[in-house]
Amino acid sequence: MSRWLPVLFALLAGLARAVGIVVVTWFLCRVMPGDVVDVLGLEGGLSEAQQADLRVSLGYDRPIVVQFFDWAQHALAGDFGRSVRFDRPVADMLASAAPVTIELALGSFVVGVALALGLAIAATSMKSRLLEAAVDGLNIWSIAVPTFCAGVLGIIVFSLWLGWLPVIGSLILPIIIIGLDNAGQIVKLVREDLAEAVMLPHVRTARAKGLSPWRIAVVHVLPVAAPIVLVLSGLVLSGLVAGTLTMEILFGLPGIGSLMLNAVHGRDLPVVLAAVTVVAVALVAINTLVDALHRLIDPRVNR
Amino acid sequence: MSPKAGIRRAAGSFVAPGTLVALVAVIVILLAAAGAPILSDQSPLDQDLTAMNGGPTAEHLLGTDNLGRDVLVRLLWGARTTLVVGALGTALAFALGAGVGLMAIVAGRLTEMLWFAVIDLIRALPATLLGVLLIVALGSGTVPVIIALGLSFSPLVALVVRTAHAREVARDYVAAAASFGGGRLHVLVHHILPNLIGTLVTQGAIVLPRCIVTESVLSFLGLGSSPDEPTWGRMIADASRFIEQAPHAILAPVIALIVLTTALSVLGDQLRRRLDPTRAAAMPADLAEASPIATAWTAEGAES
Amino acid sequence: MSTSTDLPDMPVRAAVSRHAPPGEDAAGSDPFACPILEVRDLTIRAGTRELVRDVTFSIGAGRTLALIGQSGSGKSMTAAAIMGLLPPGVSLSAGAGIQLDGRRLPIHDDRAMRAFRGSALAMVFQDPMSCLNPFMTVGAQIDEALWRRGMADAARRRERTLDLMQAVELPSPEVLRRRLPHELSGGQQQRIMLAMGLAAEPRLLIADEPTSALDASVQAEILTLLERLQSKFRMAILFITHDLAAARRLGHEIMVMRHGRVVDFGAPATIFSTPRHEHTRALISVRRMLEQPPPPRARAGETVVDVQGINFDYPPRRFLDRPFPALSEVSFSLTAGRSLGVIGESGSGKSTLAAIIAGLKRPVAGDVRLFGTSMAGHDFAMPRALRRRVQIVFQNPHGALNPRHTIATAMREPLDLLRIGTRRDRLDRVVETLNRVGLDADFLARYPHALSGGQRQRVAIGRALLSEPDLLVCDEVVSALDATVGAEILHLLRRLQMERGFALVFVGHDLEVVRWIADEIAVMADGRLVEQGPADRILSAPGSAAARSLVQACLKPVRC
Repeated sequence: MSRWLPVLFALLAGLARAVGIVVVTWFLCRVMPGDVVDVLGLEGGLSEAQQADLRVSLGYDRPIVVQFFDWAQHALAGDFGRSVRFDRPVADMLASAAPVTIELALGSFVVGVALALGLAIAATSMKSRLLEAAVDGLNIWSIAVPTFCAGVLGIIVFSLWLGWLPVIGSLILPIIIIGLDNAGQIVKLVREDLAEAVMLPHVRTARAKGLSPWRIAVVHVLPVAAPIVLVLSGLVLSGLVAGTLTMEILFGLPGIGSLMLNAVHGRDLPVVLAAVTVVAVALVAINTLVDALHRLIDPRVNR
Repeated sequence: MSPKAGIRRAAGSFVAPGTLVALVAVIVILLAAAGAPILSDQSPLDQDLTAMNGGPTAEHLLGTDNLGRDVLVRLLWGARTTLVVGALGTALAFALGAGVGLMAIVAGRLTEMLWFAVIDLIRALPATLLGVLLIVALGSGTVPVIIALGLSFSPLVALVVRTAHAREVARDYVAAAASFGGGRLHVLVHHILPNLIGTLVTQGAIVLPRCIVTESVLSFLGLGSSPDEPTWGRMIADASRFIEQAPHAILAPVIALIVLTTALSVLGDQLRRRLDPTRAAAMPADLAEASPIATAWTAEGAES
Repeated sequence: MSTSTDLPDMPVRAAVSRHAPPGEDAAGSDPFACPILEVRDLTIRAGTRELVRDVTFSIGAGRTLALIGQSGSGKSMTAAAIMGLLPPGVSLSAGAGIQLDGRRLPIHDDRAMRAFRGSALAMVFQDPMSCLNPFMTVGAQIDEALWRRGMADAARRRERTLDLMQAVELPSPEVLRRRLPHELSGGQQQRIMLAMGLAAEPRLLIADEPTSALDASVQAEILTLLERLQSKFRMAILFITHDLAAARRLGHEIMVMRHGRVVDFGAPATIFSTPRHEHTRALISVRRMLEQPPPPRARAGETVVDVQGINFDYPPRRFLDRPFPALSEVSFSLTAGRSLGVIGESGSGKSTLAAIIAGLKRPVAGDVRLFGTSMAGHDFAMPRALRRRVQIVFQNPHGALNPRHTIATAMREPLDLLRIGTRRDRLDRVVETLNRVGLDADFLARYPHALSGGQRQRVAIGRALLSEPDLLVCDEVVSALDATVGAEILHLLRRLQMERGFALVFVGHDLEVVRWIADEIAVMADGRLVEQGPADRILSAPGSAAARSLVQACLKPVRC
């Protein structure tokens, strides 16, 4: 019980955060200057009366709190309304866009974490200056080279100069670029944490026991670093948003990012709302799970 | 001298020129941005319809973009926007994170809890998403971008400040000051702030390049300032559609951005090394004997 | 290097002891036989700094060598070198040789040393909590040591684990086996560490300050256990300590180190009767001083502090947790010019009590009357006039001074805040007070990191005395200091008390130290004041269980 209570609290806090995010998102979107009716009015030359009718039919004339609860109720059932521009159910649009984004995010997450972990462990155990430099280089790369700049460079080098890959619609290059960026964000932290873990008194005890370096690393050092790796993985997932968004635009991938951005430019409110909400809630959910898992696997957190 | 010390010395002398180059790069970009009106004889919006997507010539040193606008001129003017927006975003992040954060902490437990609940909520939204939201809410333009940057990066500052504050408040010299009748304000001004400055400067060096990058991302996505105002991000976005015809038009802002962020982060790293109290320095000398590990830290700290 | 002019610092060749008469208790073995461990010309360097220089000694089978030294003496480094566990950046001299059972240890080859660790060599460290893997059950950690020793059969390992846990006198091994380290008490954790060491069936067990992180009563138990284990398992023990009493109790021979050199060596009786080196003499004189406390002062004057039934709760760590009671119904009083020693084990609430008296914490119930003024009446916000009269000094002299303030700035702070004297004469006051605590005006411009621990504690005491308080609260002020430095601070406190006549509340965990400074002793246990009375009476006839266990732990067999 005592072990699960903090986990329960972490989950409840995550739920509260998700609700908070949804409320903030929704109300921020509603103060948007010039709603979709204005835009359509300008584009399509709708008369004042037609605009007013359209507002009524969209339910924009009701009290804003009522509108929110109405929206939330439908959203919970997976119904995000219809796109004002394309007159399609928003949920369908999300569903068709999601696979691209998920593939991009998951692929680059795996590439990033695997690269960071591998490099950090190798640098810790081998004490090689080259690996140490690789850790630093990757770290500086991720700070200094924004993913979309890396994307542009990638297109120029691989597509224009070398002619290897088709630029548009390709997933490989974006996954590698975001993956490198992810790895760079965490590799140094993992490396520092491992270096610290190696210095812990209980690792000295393990050495005094005469255990092999391999067993010490796996049984006595890695468990100490596991929670940090877990937390950092959560960090990477949050950081993925910027990367996937720009990569989708640059490489013309029809993912949620492209959907959201086009909707923003077109003032397609239901789509913007749905896309932002889904991404934000997904992130909160992932981070909550990471937090809960952290509390579960690390006996020191809840002491 | 052992060979190891020799390597370390060599590494040390290697770092110094790197820092110097970074410093020069930042100063050059700052001067170029400040002197944009003097350095350029044309406006960033002037079109040379005879040279569209043109390569470098004597007239257009870095060529022209798809509308025949001079890339170098736009680069100079774009630096102004990028730097000013990045700096103001950082300032706002510090005002919210450090200023309001510290005030909330000093005012009491309740205000601290409330403010950090807000911070927690902001933190749950990635910077780009928050930027999208705010620009949707407030319309595009420079001000919403600055607000988005300030809000997004305030949690980073606030959490570091809270941790540092908690660390400082637990010190015995703070308790000693309280025993002499020193109030919260005295403790804040005389003990906590001086010890926080290093942390704050370091954090600033981390936040500034990230603000600049995020600004570029937002304007790349067409969410930043108005189309008339040249920014590096917008230049990249515009040129990305003509990447095959005019790679120079996209390479120029991309390289400029990379140089700026690299230089800033190199300088930030140097600052961090100088200002942040290291473990070795924080380790009381008397404890050094207590464990071989402690000794190792102090020994290494003494050498480096 | 060393010439005949610095004789006292000449390395003492401890190996000559083999020709010295055996110790009073030979534990039934022959010390002249081939020694288990022989260390020759051990020199350890960190960069160009020598941490240990020319150390030579040996330990016979079934015998204990007690290695005494204060912080920075190189004693732990010596132990780490024998185990091959020197930290990175620290290296052995080429001429050093260590022999185990007559075989040369490959001390320059870490991989080869691994074969000896956990088999012929085992080690127990100071802080058992952090030395155990927090993610593994303690049973699994002993099991791992047996597996390392080559016991392949899991069922046999389990059986042996239980045997070992029984050998280190742990209750209900079957239950404790499944616990994680943080679920055990400090004493139990150290027993697990010992069981793990014994699993190796070592020829040599190194115990590096195995009791220093433990409460006094637990320390005594662990020392007794070590004795019993040695007579049962017959290994040689290298026992490292800073505590002369513990060294005398366990060591067949005693070796004293200072600044990386061996300065004295011999059987306990010899060391204590004819110490060769002035450092040994200083250590012994601290023991003697503590064993002969000055007579108590007369009860006289007005009541300075009167604590009436105070309670204190620590706020809950997490939402919905219950507050944790730190003090309940604590009452006592103290008159001017006298000292009250508050003693208790860690977690007994003694430091909380000190903070409440000094006005740094606010009790949830009860009252503290200072010089007749009720603090509850002031809502526990101490008026400035009273602040001047009540001051506190903390345990850790490193933390008590802001690293960014010079000594002058640090010492002016109370004068400025309490508005004592005119701006002009504040500096004079600071200099005068520095002189009083044995420091001179040169210290004004220095920063804390340039001072030794003892000097820093002097500054902290001086700063507290600047406002000429009538009540000084000292919270474990000598605990973080070496014994000889601590003794100086105790003398200083007593002298200042004589000159200034302030009342002293002295919080500590070491009964001998508290007894030396205090006229009366209050014993705390689990947040309650279980006994209070004249210091002599508490020592001769302790009335409570807590006091009895403290007294028993303290009466170590040291009669010099």
